[in-house]
Amino acid sequence: MSAGSVPSGYEVNDPGYPTPQENYLTNSKGILSWAFTLDHKRIGMMYLIGVSSAFLLGGLLAIGIRLHLFAPDGVLFNNALFQWLAPDKAPNDIYNQVFTLHGAIMVFLFIIPSIPAALGNFLVPVMLGAKDVAFPRLNLSSFYLWVGGALFFIMALLASGLDTGWTFYTPYSTTTDSSVILATTGAFILGFSSIFTGLNFIVTINTMRPPGMTWFRMPLFLWATYSTSIIQVLATPVLGITLLLLIAERTLHIGIFDPEYNGDPVTFQHFFWFYSHPAVYIMILPAFGIISELISVHSHKRIFGYRFIAYSSIAIALLSFIVWGHHMFTSGMSPITTIIFSALTFTVSVPSAIKVFNWVATMFKGSISLTTPMVYAIAFIFLFTIGGLTGLHLGTLATDMHLHDTYFVVAHFHYVMVGGTVVAFLGGVFHWWPKMVGKMYSEVGGLLSAALVFIGFNLTFLPQFILGSRGMPRRYATYDPEFAPLHQMSTYGALILGVGLFVALFVLLMSLLNGKKAPANPWGGATLEWNCTSPPPFYNFERPPVVGDPYEFGDIRWDTELDRYVKVEPKRERVPVETPAETPAHASE
Amino acid sequence: MMSLLGDYTSSKLSVFPKSASSFSGESDWVFHFISIVCVIFFVPIAIALFGFAWKYRKAKGQPADSQVDHNTTLELVWSIGPSFLLVVMFYFGARGYLDMRSIPEGAYNVGVDAYKWGWGMDYGNGVIHPELHVVAGEPTKLTMTSKDVIHSLYIPSFRVKKDIVPGRYNYIWFKAMEPSEKVMSDEECKQLADKDKEENLSWDYDARQCTPDGYNFYDLYCAEYCGTNHSEMQTVVVVHETQEELDAWIKKYSSRGDEPPAAYGAKLYERRGCKSCHSIDGSRMVGPSYKGSYGTMRDIVGGGQVKVDENYIRESILNPKAKVAIEQGVAYQPVMPSYKGQLSDDDIYSLIEFIKSLGDASAAEPEPPADAEPVSVE
Repeated sequence: MSAGSVPSGYEVNDPGYPTPQENYLTNSKGILSWAFTLDHKRIGMMYLIGVSSAFLLGGLLAIGIRLHLFAPDGVLFNNALFQWLAPDKAPNDIYNQVFTLHGAIMVFLFIIPSIPAALGNFLVPVMLGAKDVAFPRLNLSSFYLWVGGALFFIMALLASGLDTGWTFYTPYSTTTDSSVILATTGAFILGFSSIFTGLNFIVTINTMRPPGMTWFRMPLFLWATYSTSIIQVLATPVLGITLLLLIAERTLHIGIFDPEYNGDPVTFQHFFWFYSHPAVYIMILPAFGIISELISVHSHKRIFGYRFIAYSSIAIALLSFIVWGHHMFTSGMSPITTIIFSALTFTVSVPSAIKVFNWVATMFKGSISLTTPMVYAIAFIFLFTIGGLTGLHLGTLATDMHLHDTYFVVAHFHYVMVGGTVVAFLGGVFHWWPKMVGKMYSEVGGLLSAALVFIGFNLTFLPQFILGSRGMPRRYATYDPEFAPLHQMSTYGALILGVGLFVALFVLLMSLLNGKKAPANPWGGATLEWNCTSPPPFYNFERPPVVGDPYEFGDIRWDTELDRYVKVEPKRERVPVETPAETPAHASE
Repeated sequence: MMSLLGDYTSSKLSVFPKSASSFSGESDWVFHFISIVCVIFFVPIAIALFGFAWKYRKAKGQPADSQVDHNTTLELVWSIGPSFLLVVMFYFGARGYLDMRSIPEGAYNVGVDAYKWGWGMDYGNGVIHPELHVVAGEPTKLTMTSKDVIHSLYIPSFRVKKDIVPGRYNYIWFKAMEPSEKVMSDEECKQLADKDKEENLSWDYDARQCTPDGYNFYDLYCAEYCGTNHSEMQTVVVVHETQEELDAWIKKYSSRGDEPPAAYGAKLYERRGCKSCHSIDGSRMVGPSYKGSYGTMRDIVGGGQVKVDENYIRESILNPKAKVAIEQGVAYQPVMPSYKGQLSDDDIYSLIEFIKSLGDASAAEPEPPADAEPVSVE
């Protein structure tokens, strides 16, 4: 036993499990062993590669948008190269297709599946001390549905592009000659992928919690995942039906959305946002879960206000279903409907604020390690708070009339979706990367990426708030010269942000080549995933782990000699076991 | 506080465009109220966030100073406390919004026709013009509909916006407060307009910062994405000081007078949105160019050819999707809205004469081409 920093009166309780010879990455080989795997960890890793590729594609499109908007009349797509690539398309058309695909790819292929399907798949069973999710085959089929949906999007891109905006508003989407049917079919399939994942997690968390893990002893990441899954299962079918109706309107002219056939285009907006507003919380709730874990573990302090955080996740999931109308304040809804939606919208800001206060309170008097995941988590709180507060300007009716469909909205939701979800996703990937691949990455590189992402992000989107309040409408391929300086700042910011993301990718990939071997518990976390080896064996745990308090750090200490975190427990008086000889009477009874 | 904020919003440092309607003051005041509340919350959060991160950073293995994990009173205070501020925001927002929805009796009515990609402001008596002209200090009501997809009328300086939905009327009203100024004399305007005509250019509002009538203006944008030239679907608002001034302006555009049809057609081309999709210099835009097109044979979608003559042009204006042109093997998008009921017979005749004036192939070669039989187009 080593002394290290173990306080007197305590002893190391290192069960000393034998390190398994094989882990989930090495226990079977060959491409087919991945393609047909039912292992939630491999499916999670495949999702991670998939959503990261989608993020790369969507990100390059975003850079394209920003480069085009560097000057009032457009820059990039006016270039001769694009005229040669797409001779029958005007620069404006190319811009419209690029921003549409940026939005559609980022929403449907990246953000919605990013945290639940990639990190959630890897972590949910391990955090439960389980071998796998409840329905491993459903899990694999969910991944292939994602691939199928992605293929439809790529087909749409190659066929005649998509120029409707990711929102597919009618009657534009029923009359344009771009590939609306291919793209909506893709989104429809992706919806099922999302439903399968959600259903799987609901069943897994309901039925597979180990003895001792009551609802209120679950890690908060599981609460967030559970809330997300409820939305996925309840809201996504509405999207599916809406998209089918859109396809039917386009092909059969059934007369539901297109006024030319006596349909009502605003009905489409109601249907669409009935899904897509809850979907905003599909995107952000899992990020809340990650941040709750990261802040607590890297502050080595119990999460503050566990119950408030857990309940606020559920509250957000439920409230998210009754605020969709705030996307339509200018659509001509009746004044009373509009006012009710405004009032409901304000209620949803309360649970989000509660979480922010609790995270900051968790850091108070903690023992904070400024690791890469922690720095990302701090960046998240800063950026998400800006994103959340600027939502107040948009929920307030008098100001929304001016700000709706301007860059103010663009800035607001990028602060929530990128400053929030993407930053939390990156923090989560850095946090669980040692667990996933068994290698430590360069902290210096990780911190550099966090700094570049933070600076680049703010430089990109802070100017957009001012662009919006000064009246710059969104989705404009060209703009009035007075807006040029702020657009240029935004473009420089996007380039810095892009470099930061590539640095993050580079740091993670380099760790595979020359990273130090990761210990089981590199951060001193108390949730169950830190009890199995890094990377975990195929069955996750050699023996069922003992369920404890997920935020009890008192018994986890840094051992300087072993150079890793160990579990300690109070030294017990070891009373020698009484020999049978001294109690013959009992023995004979 | 209200007046202090009012001073600020009219300054050049403002985060807003010029405040020029009766709604602007209320909207900006609420915006700044919310912003101040946001700053009051955000600054302490940010200080605590970075302060704690710095102050409580410790070497590995140092236990935290405290493991306190809840304080119900504190949590209830910060959950419920801010709600009162939310109620205040909601109240002011809803109050301002109800003003915008309560259209006063007797407001001056202008019809708005939005289409891909332009505006037709209808002043009655057949006067339709892309610019919106209103009177200062008097309420104006816009009765808006769209010919094709959803558009949205947005006047940043007035802080108003409303979607324009095909198949129904949406309304918006405002009271413009700051009249436009006459910044260019009529002679200068005419010189510039003549120069534009020679160079085949249209009036550049942004560069000149004034309208062809010499007024400075407020921007009016389409705020709902509507396709290719969404970002160019812009026009201007001119605020006249008196009703008489507005009436005089309308009168200027109310009759063709004894202008020759081709010259009047050229004006319609500018005013009624033709120019946003059809060039007159032969370049390919969203629709076919007018230049030299009259009298030529044109491939159409579905196979076959059609001669560009009076009947074809008339049909293409009233029922644009009937015969969609193909040029150099690439079909045009069938996006033009019908102008049925929008243009009078005289207007259509004038436009045909205007197109003829840009080159008439049938005059040069009276014989139709020998191979005029239908060709299939794959």
